[in-house]
Amino acid sequence: MSTVSPVLRNRSARIALTVVVAIALIAAPLLLPAFANQTLVRIGVYAVAVLGLNIVMGYTGQVNLGQIFFVGLGAYVTAYGVNHGWNIIVVFVAACAIAGIVGLLVALAAARLGGLAIAMVTIALPIVGVPLAKRLSEFTGGSQGISARFSDAPDWSGLYSDQWQFYIVLLVTAAAFLLARSLVQGKYGRAFGVVRENEAVAASMGVSPYRTKVLAFTIASILGGASGFLYLAAVQYTSPETLSFGHSISLLAAMVIGGAGSIAGSLIGGAYYVFVPQLTNAIDPSFTTLSQGAILLVVLFLLPEGLVSLPRVIRRLGRRRTARPTSGNPPQTAPAHHPVPEAAREGLENTERQDRP
Amino acid sequence: MTLLELADVTAFYGPVQVLDGVSLSVPEGGSVGILGANGAGKTTTLRAVSGTVRTGGRITFDGRDIRGLRPDQVAALGIAHVPEGRGTLGQLSVRENLLVGAYLRKGRKAISADVDYCLDLFPQLQDRVSSRAAALSGGEQQMLAVARAFMAKPKLLLLDEASLGLAPSTAKTVYDSIRRLRRESGIAMVVVEQNANLAFSLVDTATVLETGRNVLTGSSAELKGMDEIRRAYLGG
Amino acid sequence: MGMGTFIQLVVDGLSTGAIYAALALAIVLVNQATGLINFAQGGLAVLSSYIAYVFVRLGLPLILAIIVAVVLSFFIGALVERFLVRRFERGDPDTAVVVTVGLLTLVTGLCAVLWGYNNLGFPSLFPLTSVEILGAVVSVRSLATTVTIVVIMVVLQLLFLRTKLGLALRAVADNPASAAFSGLPVGRLLMVGWGLAATLGAIAGVLVAPQLTLTPGMLDTALVYALAAVILGGLSSPIGCVVAASAIGVLENLVAVYVPFIGHDLKIAVPFVLIFVILVLRPQGLFGRKVVVRV
Repeated sequence: MSTVSPVLRNRSARIALTVVVAIALIAAPLLLPAFANQTLVRIGVYAVAVLGLNIVMGYTGQVNLGQIFFVGLGAYVTAYGVNHGWNIIVVFVAACAIAGIVGLLVALAAARLGGLAIAMVTIALPIVGVPLAKRLSEFTGGSQGISARFSDAPDWSGLYSDQWQFYIVLLVTAAAFLLARSLVQGKYGRAFGVVRENEAVAASMGVSPYRTKVLAFTIASILGGASGFLYLAAVQYTSPETLSFGHSISLLAAMVIGGAGSIAGSLIGGAYYVFVPQLTNAIDPSFTTLSQGAILLVVLFLLPEGLVSLPRVIRRLGRRRTARPTSGNPPQTAPAHHPVPEAAREGLENTERQDRP
Repeated sequence: MTLLELADVTAFYGPVQVLDGVSLSVPEGGSVGILGANGAGKTTTLRAVSGTVRTGGRITFDGRDIRGLRPDQVAALGIAHVPEGRGTLGQLSVRENLLVGAYLRKGRKAISADVDYCLDLFPQLQDRVSSRAAALSGGEQQMLAVARAFMAKPKLLLLDEASLGLAPSTAKTVYDSIRRLRRESGIAMVVVEQNANLAFSLVDTATVLETGRNVLTGSSAELKGMDEIRRAYLGG
Repeated sequence: MGMGTFIQLVVDGLSTGAIYAALALAIVLVNQATGLINFAQGGLAVLSSYIAYVFVRLGLPLILAIIVAVVLSFFIGALVERFLVRRFERGDPDTAVVVTVGLLTLVTGLCAVLWGYNNLGFPSLFPLTSVEILGAVVSVRSLATTVTIVVIMVVLQLLFLRTKLGLALRAVADNPASAAFSGLPVGRLLMVGWGLAATLGAIAGVLVAPQLTLTPGMLDTALVYALAAVILGGLSSPIGCVVAASAIGVLENLVAVYVPFIGHDLKIAVPFVLIFVILVLRPQGLFGRKVVVRV
């Protein structure tokens, strides 16, 4: 599933590239205009939320329609902590921990249902979350929302606020991505994959599907909380609108369009989440939802593994053109990533696309 | 006259070639066996006919090319496939399964008479007509699968491993009834069967497949005598 | 608050419950046929309601406009199955679910582009008068909505159990590959199944539209209730879903009035708190069987 091109497999080249990227990211806010920094900051914010969604959905195969709820929860906890004068580290830990605990409780119940029921339960989170946020106005400021300023650059730094915010977001985002990467490449990542492919097989291998799903969901919630913290660092304000159902769907779309089951895809997803509504809003705000649905469906049809798979798909198409199999009438239209037994079941559908006599 | 003719049929599951030029000829009212070890391509050959796997080569039925038709179109021409692993509709009752079998037919009376005939053919099903198919025993499900295929009044029956997972006595009962069905209805059959004795009790000729190719074709009587064939391909 | 209020709440609850039940049944119908959960079921119903609205504005009598919209919904549902969902039916169910979420977004966006986000008034099929039953004042609309949905469910049940089409639909839902061996045109039957589901949703949509007023997200909440009903009632049990949907409708109404902390704004949480409690108390799942497993 590696998406790196052969050049990058070379170890020293990879280290060099990492160093270059790191330097570029550290230097960027000093060189870029404020608007560009703010945009990059927002990409970081949503990339972390999409990353969490990717852990539970892309890697573990549990459809989660409520990720935005944890982003909102993290944002509210952050606002509350900041306004009560908590230390910022404590605020960050609380934002992650409370989102994680709520996520754990939801998962403990929802994962019992199995299959698509998790999707059916999680869809309720933003729908219940919005009135709940309005109701608990002593914590949330009700419909008006709540603001909290903690991310203005301190005087000693000599930085502008957008640059300071960039570094906060960069720090947390980079840590989240590195942790997520080592998670999915390790033992737990394999457990996620087995549960996604086949729960019965997972159970027979000694991997508890229930516990794995709860774990993945909890990690996703923690990352959602972290994203909420970053959201408040970037926007300094949150309201019930932050966790609306529409935004949850957008997160899902961003994850799928970026690339389900891909760490790099989460970053692309974050960029999609920020850029595309900006773009469609610029053309005509009333087309935003329509174009989002259309883009999501087009990607699912043409690029089911998301934008991150684009280079691979192009390479594969190139190869196919040069080396076409010669035998009779092979069903090469079947996507190459399908496992072999699947092909037998697909026969029914494949034949349907053939000409009738 | 030839009813079904396969010539040089190929098939792939993804990149894996499962059939590599299989040929088969079934005369009207005839019964042909396909023998061979696991993975030789027996089931795939039946699937090729019924349209559940894409194939190359030529498949003609009643003089018309049927390659590339959908399974329901193949069924409409008069080919009934009894797939491996029963192939009943578990949540439907036995009677409903039989009525689904007659989906393409008109004429309430004739259908009702054939339901009665099926229950006579497989008396074990008589007490279970209202039970869900999933609640039947393995043998009863196999009987129901065959009966449902018969309800379509096909010209050709494709029978895949009807003895699979059944106790020997049950398997024998199933095959006895299928033999009677063949005798009384004259339906042509292609029979895939691991158990050589059961297979030879039902077929006139047979072909032996190995890695997707015919390696031996002959009459039932000829093949039956070849001990080394039986040992090699049929497991004794 | 006396007995009168109570009866009124129950009757109103049954009528909203009937709407949830219709959507829940549509979801079950699609799930039985294709193993999917169609998150766009509510969105498609909203589209149908807008279509009815357009015909009303064109001067068609309300009942005729509704019939035209409901018939069109059948074709919309069938086309969605054929050209959108079919490709994903045999693949990963999670991807297919995302497809329906994409469809929901697309349909909501389409309604927004065509008719805007402003609430549009939709005429009621039933008189807005009330009758007195056992001393309680009950709206005719609530009663008539409930009766209409019940009649439609009975018709649907007869279709499934007494007709050849119903038998064929059930056969395809049971095992499409096996059904095809008996000559059943599986693709066309799946289209019919999706068409019927869309029809059911459309009826729910036009019945509830006068109350909610038309907006692109009109049925988002109702969809969530319907999904809760499906979880509680079981995907394989249409009757269970109807019972659960009615119970949810009544319960949320009662809780909204009698439990001040919850109130009308938080009553949507009621079915999910219920699900949560049941899951904690009954780890083996609801009604002692696995609820949503179809591998």
